[in-house]
Amino acid sequence: MHIVVCVKQVPDSAEIKIDIETGTLIRAGVPSIINPYDHFALQKAIELKKAHKCKLTVISMGPPQAKSVVQLGLALGADDGILLSDRAFAGSDTWATSYIISKAIKKIGKIDIILCGMQAIDGDTAQVGPGIAQHLAMPQVTFCEDIKIDSKKIIVRKLIDDGYEIIEAKSPALFTMIMPKDFEPRYPAFLDIHNSLEKPYHQWSMCDIGAQEQYIGLKGSPTQVDRIYPPPKREKAEMISGGVSEAVEKIVDIFEKENFLKI
Amino acid sequence: MPSMDTISRELMLDSLRNYAKKNLFHEFLREKDANNEFPAEILKEMYDQSILGVHLLLIPKEYGGISGGTFDVYRVCEILARIDLGIATGVFATFLGTDPLSVGGTDEQKEKWMTRIAKENLLVAYAATEADAGSDLVNLRTRAEHVLKNGKLIGYKLTGNKQWISNGGVADVYSVLAMAPGGSSWFMVEKGTEGFSPNKHEDKHGIRLSNTAGLSFDNAYIPKENLIGGVEGQGLTQAQAVFGYTRVMVAAFGLGAGWEALEVAIKYSQQRIQGGGPLSDKQGYTHKLIVPNAVNLEAARAYIEEISERLDGGEKGLQTEGAIAKYAATESGNKTAEDAIQALGGYGYTKDFSVEKIKRDAKITCIYEGTNEVMEMTIFRGRWQEHLKTRGRYYIDMADSLQSLHLESPEVGADLAALAARALAVIMEECRAQRLTRHQHITFKLGKLISLAELAFIFAKRAAAVEYTETIKFDRNVWQAMSRVYAKNAALQIAAEGIALILGAAEKDIDLAEALNFNTIQALQKGLISDMDLIASKLKDTFKAK
Ligand SMILES: Cc1cc2nc3c(=O)[nH]c(=O)nc-3n(C[C@H](O)[C@H](O)[C@H](O)COP(=O)(O)OP(=O)(O)OC[C@H]3O[C@@H](n4cnc5c(N)ncnc54)[C@H](O)[C@@H]3O)c2cc1C
Repeated sequence: MHIVVCVKQVPDSAEIKIDIETGTLIRAGVPSIINPYDHFALQKAIELKKAHKCKLTVISMGPPQAKSVVQLGLALGADDGILLSDRAFAGSDTWATSYIISKAIKKIGKIDIILCGMQAIDGDTAQVGPGIAQHLAMPQVTFCEDIKIDSKKIIVRKLIDDGYEIIEAKSPALFTMIMPKDFEPRYPAFLDIHNSLEKPYHQWSMCDIGAQEQYIGLKGSPTQVDRIYPPPKREKAEMISGGVSEAVEKIVDIFEKENFLKI
Repeated sequence: MPSMDTISRELMLDSLRNYAKKNLFHEFLREKDANNEFPAEILKEMYDQSILGVHLLLIPKEYGGISGGTFDVYRVCEILARIDLGIATGVFATFLGTDPLSVGGTDEQKEKWMTRIAKENLLVAYAATEADAGSDLVNLRTRAEHVLKNGKLIGYKLTGNKQWISNGGVADVYSVLAMAPGGSSWFMVEKGTEGFSPNKHEDKHGIRLSNTAGLSFDNAYIPKENLIGGVEGQGLTQAQAVFGYTRVMVAAFGLGAGWEALEVAIKYSQQRIQGGGPLSDKQGYTHKLIVPNAVNLEAARAYIEEISERLDGGEKGLQTEGAIAKYAATESGNKTAEDAIQALGGYGYTKDFSVEKIKRDAKITCIYEGTNEVMEMTIFRGRWQEHLKTRGRYYIDMADSLQSLHLESPEVGADLAALAARALAVIMEECRAQRLTRHQHITFKLGKLISLAELAFIFAKRAAAVEYTETIKFDRNVWQAMSRVYAKNAALQIAAEGIALILGAAEKDIDLAEALNFNTIQALQKGLISDMDLIASKLKDTFKAK
């Protein structure tokens, strides 16, 4: 079996700041990390690889420094790594991004399982995984918490609002992984990082994967971000205590005072 | 050995940081510190090849290591020091302990010991110091006597005592300096060797998580294969050969400890409201306790990076440079930690905040691996030779190159760094002419002034480069403001202290103000406060309190 896991480099959201005046993200000085959901997907993929002797490819799209998350995958146990990097990819929205990744996966050849994180913590769209499946005309299961291989079947545990579903799928299929609360990310030892430099690694451009220019980058992106801004800060809340009718009276008073109600 | 690519190095640092985040939080370290306890299990994990394997950094690839370069070692040491300087010392002792072997070992010895250290995750100790042999190893008393069999040398018997040896009570292998009939020599000694025993763990001011113990040797038999290099009398040369980069490691310790304390203070200052506003907005506070420390630490970083790159590029020795790096970074680290306590006021003085411990820990960096006074002496000796050899041109040439740098990049303070170098040249020449270096005080002070001038030089040079440092957290204009502030201070301090030194010792009356360009140095102080304002505000933005 051949598993492909998709990973993204994101700014560490714990450290992200927004420039209030310009409404843009301040990225200078903010460390980059692997998207935590992808980290979980990667670890699951490595477990599968170990248990079933699968081949594991880790793939990422991003600027040259995103090589870091690919190498992390290699150091943790993936067999080969691919970085999709090209100036022409810049500005791609989730649609264009999933098109680019799907073209790369087609180039890889026959694969059986694609794992993605549920969403990336910088955009929170949760669209790229499903987008890839769509471009590849492949079945997909989203929000998986666990994945197992049982002879030819793939069995996942998918979270739903009030519980979970166990779903069986046939390969090839794509799964997006949520991250359990108790997930403990693993980091590679020094020697593994060092040895990962000897594993196969490729950087592919638009031409390498045969992507068409009109479908990628800003031009190929149907979504355009208007602006980013932090939600306005709420004023201090006032807690109202007392019995129901007393409280209602107080609330109505406030409404009147603040001109919320025109009676 | 060249260093790794930035991405691989950053991945290692991330692994190290994440390990610390999970295992080495403040309460844990505080408890071990209070109990004077060596966290054996932590060191074992950090050496475990499948968890971290930090010790592999200094072991060549052919023996199962990863052949890290000096730049890698500097970065890892900086992060280790930010975590805990005691644990850092435990790792460092292994680095140090393998050095005599790397420098002087025969191929068979390297193969045997390095492979074992790598594969068996061995803790190593480096044992040079004795009761009467500290800064000066000439009075080494530990003896290594020949053991003969049928008239042929088969080994040595070691007798004597070592003192304050890091990992002394817990190491698996020791490199021990002893006086053999042919002169001082290094020996590899295994734990459990008959006649050898470690003494009790010392009760220390700081780095209490580092095991420090004396070693006793009483006719301990060491086979002759364990004489490093196989030839007696190479001990001091082997010890000297690596000072360039071992001192870079301790320099990185100073840098890491200093930044850790400073970051706590910067964050604290944004939350502490006194006098109607946060302390971070008060110049009397920031421009005394925060900004000068950030500037000094970053000047030291620039210097450490420069030297690391040169060592990685294959230059040998660099002992004077190693001494400058160690001296500047550890003096700044120690001062920063002290100021961080002050910055936190009463809170800083309690053990609830980490700065109190960092301050106790940081002090050791001024003492071990050559005390900072010995560094001043070493720096002076190294550069005095250059001054004589070049007939006084050494710092004039440096000033000239800074002057041309200033024409290309007028914003890095190279004009002031040039004045600093020029003033130093004048002072050294005056000392020569008046034979003032017979005063030890003057030579040590010159060591300090040399360090100031050289840091100003390197800081300006690196701040002018497009790619500054991978650790960058600030915009380029902040580095440049820092470089300007450093150079302003260096020029002023060199001129002022130089005057005090020379006039304090000289017999004739002289007026040095003109020769030192005192007026220009004075005029160029312009803009100092606004540069400091900029740095203060950027530090606040970069290290935002949560
Ligand atoms: C926690 C700790 C860990 C250590 N780990 C190790 C280790 O792993 N291996 C090891 O071999 N050693 C180790 N040491 C020893 C350390 O390297 C020595 O303490 C250091 O070299 C200084 O020697 P000393 O303590 O004898 O001080 P001294 O040399 O006696 O110095 C005392 C003071 O005199 C000054 N001084 C010394 N010589 C001169 C001079 N010629 N002119 C003017 N002033 C001078 C010094 O700067 C200092 O201020 C450790 C020490 C400590 C405290």
